[in-house]
Amino acid sequence: MRTDAPAKVRGALQYGADLEAEGMLWGALVPSPVAHGRLVAIDAAAARAMTGVRAVVTGEDLDRLLPKGGGDPARRMFPSDELTYRHQPVAAVAADSLAAARAAAAAVRVTAQELSSVDGIEEIFPDWPGDEGRRSPHVVAHVHARRGDLEGAFASAEFVLSQIYRTSGVAQVALEPHVCLARVEGDRYYVRTSTQAPFAVRSDTAEILGVPESKVVVEGSWVGGGFGGKASALLEPYAVVLAAAAGRPVRLGLSYREEFLLGRSTLPAVVRIDSSVAGGTITGRRVRLLLDAGAMLPGRDFATGFAIGFLAGPYRIGAVELEGYAVRTHKPPFGAHRAPFAPQCAFVVESHMDAIARRAGIDPIDLRLAHAWQEGDETPLGQRVGPFGLRAALERAAKRRSEWRADGRGTGGIGVACGFWSTGTGAGGEVSVTLSRTGVRIVEGEREIGSGSVVRGLVAVVERLTGLPPAAVRLEYRATDAAPFDSGVFGSRTVGALGRAVETAVRTALATLAERAGVPEVGLVYEAKELRVRVRGRARPLATWLTAAERKDGGLTVRGRHYGRSGAFDAGRVLDGEFYAYTDFTASVALAQAAVDPETGAVRPERVAEFLDVGVALDPEMIRSQMEGGIAMGLGEALTEETLWAASGRLGNPGLLDYRVPTLGEIPPLETETIEGYRGAGPFGAKGVGEPPIIPVPGAIANAVLDATDAQVPELPMTPERVARALKPL
Amino acid sequence: MSGPIALTVNGRRRRVDAPDAERLLDTLRWRLGLKGTKEGCRSGACGACTVLVGGRSTLSCLTLTHEVAGASVTTVEGIGREAVGRRVQAAFAREGAVQCGYCTPGFVVALTALLREPGPVASAERLLEDLGGNLCRCTGYAAIRRAVEAVRREVD
Repeated sequence: MRTDAPAKVRGALQYGADLEAEGMLWGALVPSPVAHGRLVAIDAAAARAMTGVRAVVTGEDLDRLLPKGGGDPARRMFPSDELTYRHQPVAAVAADSLAAARAAAAAVRVTAQELSSVDGIEEIFPDWPGDEGRRSPHVVAHVHARRGDLEGAFASAEFVLSQIYRTSGVAQVALEPHVCLARVEGDRYYVRTSTQAPFAVRSDTAEILGVPESKVVVEGSWVGGGFGGKASALLEPYAVVLAAAAGRPVRLGLSYREEFLLGRSTLPAVVRIDSSVAGGTITGRRVRLLLDAGAMLPGRDFATGFAIGFLAGPYRIGAVELEGYAVRTHKPPFGAHRAPFAPQCAFVVESHMDAIARRAGIDPIDLRLAHAWQEGDETPLGQRVGPFGLRAALERAAKRRSEWRADGRGTGGIGVACGFWSTGTGAGGEVSVTLSRTGVRIVEGEREIGSGSVVRGLVAVVERLTGLPPAAVRLEYRATDAAPFDSGVFGSRTVGALGRAVETAVRTALATLAERAGVPEVGLVYEAKELRVRVRGRARPLATWLTAAERKDGGLTVRGRHYGRSGAFDAGRVLDGEFYAYTDFTASVALAQAAVDPETGAVRPERVAEFLDVGVALDPEMIRSQMEGGIAMGLGEALTEETLWAASGRLGNPGLLDYRVPTLGEIPPLETETIEGYRGAGPFGAKGVGEPPIIPVPGAIANAVLDATDAQVPELPMTPERVARALKPL
Repeated sequence: MSGPIALTVNGRRRRVDAPDAERLLDTLRWRLGLKGTKEGCRSGACGACTVLVGGRSTLSCLTLTHEVAGASVTTVEGIGREAVGRRVQAAFAREGAVQCGYCTPGFVVALTALLREPGPVASAERLLEDLGGNLCRCTGYAAIRRAVEAVRREVD
């Protein structure tokens, strides 16, 4: 059982939303009234005069409140001139109560000269722009890479299949909205926040405020779901300036409506995909991506250079061309969301693979098996594929499909789809591990976000290494001024990177003890709540092998660090932009059975099975929980979840009644299987399991719909309306 | 209706001086310090704030504190005072129905209310249907389903 579960079922843990401080004020943000425009004036006089209002902060106040008046101009807290998305914060308020803060925020008069907004990528590029796109002022990133003779492959093909797919924006919908609590002490800013990445929040906040990182101290809390949405700073800089202005701690949180309106998530895309086929072999593939970047792309060409790698699929294809544009629109900035954009990519590629299989008269699984990457194959950019369990997963899916067909428990079509992911273990991290009389203590800055990767994953590494029971291992969380650095809980990296740091620290400690004992190796045992050292088959007190200083400190403390390396790709294939190498290769295959109502177009999933390439299963129960949760979220992205962006940057469904996440009754029976033996970058060869499970699900549902109806729905989510339209062309 | 009002919360008599428009959710969390009741959507769509009022499942975000003056309120902090609540809590922990845990108090309270209804224990299907108003974003509901089925077998 997870160690955090007993306290969670009693409601006894403190989440970010529960944080409180003596003399605390409540914050609220003042939104831009337009999606695009010029800021003319902010009149805060009425708000300042309201009862209970303690501070109103606009861009003009930053000079007074911050040592350098603010930091990175590209990440200005409050726009000074151009407004770039509706609800972009233009001022902030702190008051005695949340109601007073919200009322004051509403009383701040923002005058803007509205300009015409770009509401969608196809307004700018209704067709593929070709080279012209590079000169467009709306383009914020362009990536382009090639391998092999694509023209030759297309010219000599039996057929070339050309398709266009569209995907929608989706939101993370963590149940706990973003929230933080900031206070100022001397020249330091203290922030407690519900975050996946305290150190990233520290560096973001320091950059935005224009102060050294040492002036910002960030401490996490228990997190009510992250899914990528809490992996960087959002509210923290605003809370800090409010606390500085009011001279009191300020709690700043988003309402659930604001979660949708100014949270950062996946935005819409249009993908053109063309494949040439000869003799049952895919000989060439061209992928052209137009991605909605919103007001800003986070981190270089992440969304295009990273995502586009998934759009050719995990398949051996001789000639490949990948090209993508990220287009600025007047929506909130694009943000990370569980396997960012990979489920959408897999929906496109895997729908396209089934279309090819149909046209070529080949079974969909056989077509994939004939092309699936294996260790030693090359990615389109020429990186060598590492150990990869895709073929094994596909073979298991084929077997299960036969069983499903025979058992008659479902009536709908059956579809399969592949997913591919690379664990984010390239991002580094450190831990401090102490062996003491009472057990093994791991000191670090990350908090558990729910996946179990901290409370179970890190502990499981110690268990596997030493044979100690979980009760012998304790986690201790520290703020960023006292914890060893770590990159954050994202990218399925926690066990892979921080777990490796734990492994290194424990191995170092064991080697130190062995050296002192003069033996080749020692073991650890935990008896009667005491950690003892096994030397030559006998358990002895730990203190026997400690120095006087260590005994005084309470144990042997060692640092473990892991700074992973990505593989290398062939830079000669890159024509423009920035691409990413992979650290390891994780496969996930989904098999779905779904019935389609021919009248309404409603899709009803009947069962989903998933086969996940985990390297080694460190904790089967936690892996299953990630698979089940990922499948359900994937069903949401497949069928109902969509942010409805309308004209003038308006969001049509900023709430849980209109943005529909799956409910209990909508999840069919789920089957999960793991595949071991294909080593990943994590401890003992483990692979990250947080993100891969969601990736193949929308594609598998799409292919089940195809199998059931002979129709393809070229757009996510596959709402009844879109399915009905695909069934009966208008 | 303004002025201090009396409530019984988790068996204890409490007096609160809540404004007319204050939601029960905010009274519990910020006046009484009972933060086990979670704030999610504040619009009745997620179920994270579910408490018992007079034994009935109630969304505390859509309930004004003054509406429940004199009533008996049970939150997740008090749900384990009875055997059914403890069994539900144990099943959720044991079956892995808890990940981030933010929806958990709402599920625990809502399921306890359903299992304490008079008459024969509802079928698992019925219980699951009645929990449809509680959202969980982490578990895919699979482990929650296992916990519901397990605890139903125990109390039946």
